[in-house]
Amino acid sequence: MQTPLALLNLVHERTRLIVAIAGVAFAVILVFMNLGFLGSLSKTASLFYQEMNADIFLISPQALEITTTKPFPIERVYQAAGVRGVERAMPLYVGYLQWRNPETRQSRAVFAFGFNLNDPLFLLPELQEPQTLATLRQPDTVLIDRLSRPEYGPLEPGTETEADRRRVVVGGQYSLGGAFAADATVIMSDQNFRRYLSPIPLTLVNLGLVKLQPDADLQAVKAALQRTLPPDVRVLTQAEIIESDRDYWIGTTSTGFIFGLGVAVSVVVGIVIVYQVLYTDITSHLKQYATLKAMGYRSRFLFSTVIQEAVILAVLGYIPGFIVALGLYELTYRATSGGLPIAMELERAITVLILTIIMCSISGLISVNKVVSADPADVFS
Amino acid sequence: MTTTPAPSSIPALPDEAIAVRIRNLNYFFGQGELRKQVLFDINLDLPKGEIVIMTGPSGSGKTTLLTLIGALRTVPDGSLKVLGRDIVGMGRSQLVDVRRNIGFIFQAHNLFDSLSAAQNVEMAVELAPNWREKRRQAVAILTQLGLSDRVDYKPKALSGGQKQRVAIARALVNQPPLILADEPTAALDKKSGRDVVTLMQQLAKSEGRTILMVTHDNRILDVADRIVTMVDGRLDSDENLGHFVDTHDPKTLDRRMFIL
Repeated sequence: MQTPLALLNLVHERTRLIVAIAGVAFAVILVFMNLGFLGSLSKTASLFYQEMNADIFLISPQALEITTTKPFPIERVYQAAGVRGVERAMPLYVGYLQWRNPETRQSRAVFAFGFNLNDPLFLLPELQEPQTLATLRQPDTVLIDRLSRPEYGPLEPGTETEADRRRVVVGGQYSLGGAFAADATVIMSDQNFRRYLSPIPLTLVNLGLVKLQPDADLQAVKAALQRTLPPDVRVLTQAEIIESDRDYWIGTTSTGFIFGLGVAVSVVVGIVIVYQVLYTDITSHLKQYATLKAMGYRSRFLFSTVIQEAVILAVLGYIPGFIVALGLYELTYRATSGGLPIAMELERAITVLILTIIMCSISGLISVNKVVSADPADVFS
Repeated sequence: MTTTPAPSSIPALPDEAIAVRIRNLNYFFGQGELRKQVLFDINLDLPKGEIVIMTGPSGSGKTTLLTLIGALRTVPDGSLKVLGRDIVGMGRSQLVDVRRNIGFIFQAHNLFDSLSAAQNVEMAVELAPNWREKRRQAVAILTQLGLSDRVDYKPKALSGGQKQRVAIARALVNQPPLILADEPTAALDKKSGRDVVTLMQQLAKSEGRTILMVTHDNRILDVADRIVTMVDGRLDSDENLGHFVDTHDPKTLDRRMFIL
C-alpha cells in the first residue's frame, strides 16, 4: 500500500484536524437543517391532500394553494360526478377562523375544513367512526387537530370557547399537522362551516374532490373532466395538486429562496473553513512538497494528495454533522409537537454527503494551485 | 578572476564514463530588461564514480548550476547531458523522468513530520516501478546509515544528524547513479557532519556513484576527488584536492582538517 500521506498529514496536526472537522460538521449541520426545513415544508404541502379520499381535485385557476383559493360554483362538482369513471364528487369548503384561547382569551387564526358529513372525504381514522360523525352533526361542534400549537390553549373534547365570535365546542381530536399554512386546523360539517363563515353560501365551494371507480383510468378521467368542465376550474390529479402547492410554497414565496440561500451560505462557510485548513497545511509543507517534486513526483500526485485531504475532511466532518443533525431533527420535531414532519431521509443524507465532498473538493481546488506550482528548484534555497 | 578552464583541461573521457557533461552552458534569470545572466559559458564533466565538491562565494551561481544539473529547471541553451540524456529543451514531464535517477540531499532535511523515518524513505521507494518491498528496503538503508533503532521514529524525535541521515537514506534508497548535495553538513555539528560525509564517501566508492556537492564547509573537502570553484557565474578553477590545498591560503583553510 502506498504511504497514506494525505491521511497522515491531517492526523499529525491534531488541533488543526479537529478545527477542520468541526468546521465541516458545522456546515453539514447547517445544510441538513436548511434542507430539513425545506423538505418538511414540501412534505407538509402534501399533508392535507394525502388525508383526503380523492384521486382528482377541482380548484379555481386563480387559486395559489389550498389556503388561498377562489370559490367556484358547486355545479362543477355535480358535473364532475356525471363523468364516466367517477365514483363520487365531493365539495370541500376551507377558510380561516379566529379561535379564542379559552384561558388567555387571545384570538388566533385556525384553518377550517367544512365538508358534507355524508361524504367519505377524509381518510383520518377518527373520521371513519360513526360516533365522531354524529358529534359533528351537532351545531357549533368541531374537531380540532391535536398537533395544533400550544398557543390555542386546552383542546380536550368538551372544551368550549369562541370562534369568530361564535360559541364553539371541541367535539373531538385528530392528528393532521397544520403545515406552514396554519398553526392549527379544525374540521367541521358544511352546515357549521356556513354558520361560522357566513355570508359564504354553500353553493360556492373551494375544492372539488373526485373519487374514481376502482378500475377507472386516472388520465382518461382527467381528460374527460377537462373536456366537460368550463375553464373556471382546473382539473388536477392528487400528485399534480401536491406539486402545485409545493411549487407555490417553495418557488413563489421566498421560502425556497431563503432555505436555498441558507444552504449556499453554509456551503460557502464550509469552503472557507476547509480552504483555510488546507492552505495552512500546504504552506507549512511547501518545502516537503517541493522535495517530493525534486525526487520525481509529478504535480498530479501532489494534486491528488490535496484532494484526498479534502475528501477525508469531508467524510470525517460529515459523520458528526450527520449525528448532530439527527438530534436537531428530533428536537425540532418535538418542539413543533410533530407539526413539522422533519426527519432524515436517505436521499438527503446521500445528497449532503456528496455536497460535502464537492464543498471540500472546491476548497482543495482553490488551494491546490500553490502546491502544484511549487518550484522544485526552491528546495535548494 | 574570469579565466574559464579551457576545454582541453577537461580529461577527454568517452561518453559512457561520464555522468554529467556540460558544454557552453549559459543561464539567465528574469525577463526583458530585468534579464540577468547568472551562469557564463560553463564547461564541466563529472566522470562516473567521482566525488566533486563545488565551492565559491555566495551568489556565484553554484546552487543554480546544481538545480540545472538536477533537472529542476528547464534549460534553454547550451548542452547539458545528465546520465546520457541531453536535458536542454526538455519539457517538465521529461525532466521528472531524469530526476528520478538523481538523489537530492539538501541543507534542510525536508522530511515530513507526519511520517516516520521509514515512511519518509518509503516515499522515495514508491517512485520505483516495483515497491512491494519498500519497508524492507527502507529499513535496510536506514540500518546502513546507523539508524536501525530509529526506523519508526518521527523526525521530531530525531537529532539533527539523524534527520539528515534519514534524508540521505531517502536520497540513496533507489540507488541513483548521480547524487546532488547542497550544503549537506551546514546544519550539523562537526562530528555529525563528518559522519554524514564519510557515509556518502563510502557509498560513492563502494557502489560507483557520482556525487556533486556544494559546500562551504572546509572540514569536509578531503572527501573530494576534485574541487571546482565558481566565481561570479563562471568556473574559476577545476583541480584535484592536493592542488587546491596548495594554492589556498593556509589561514582560511585549516590543513589539519584534511587528515582523516
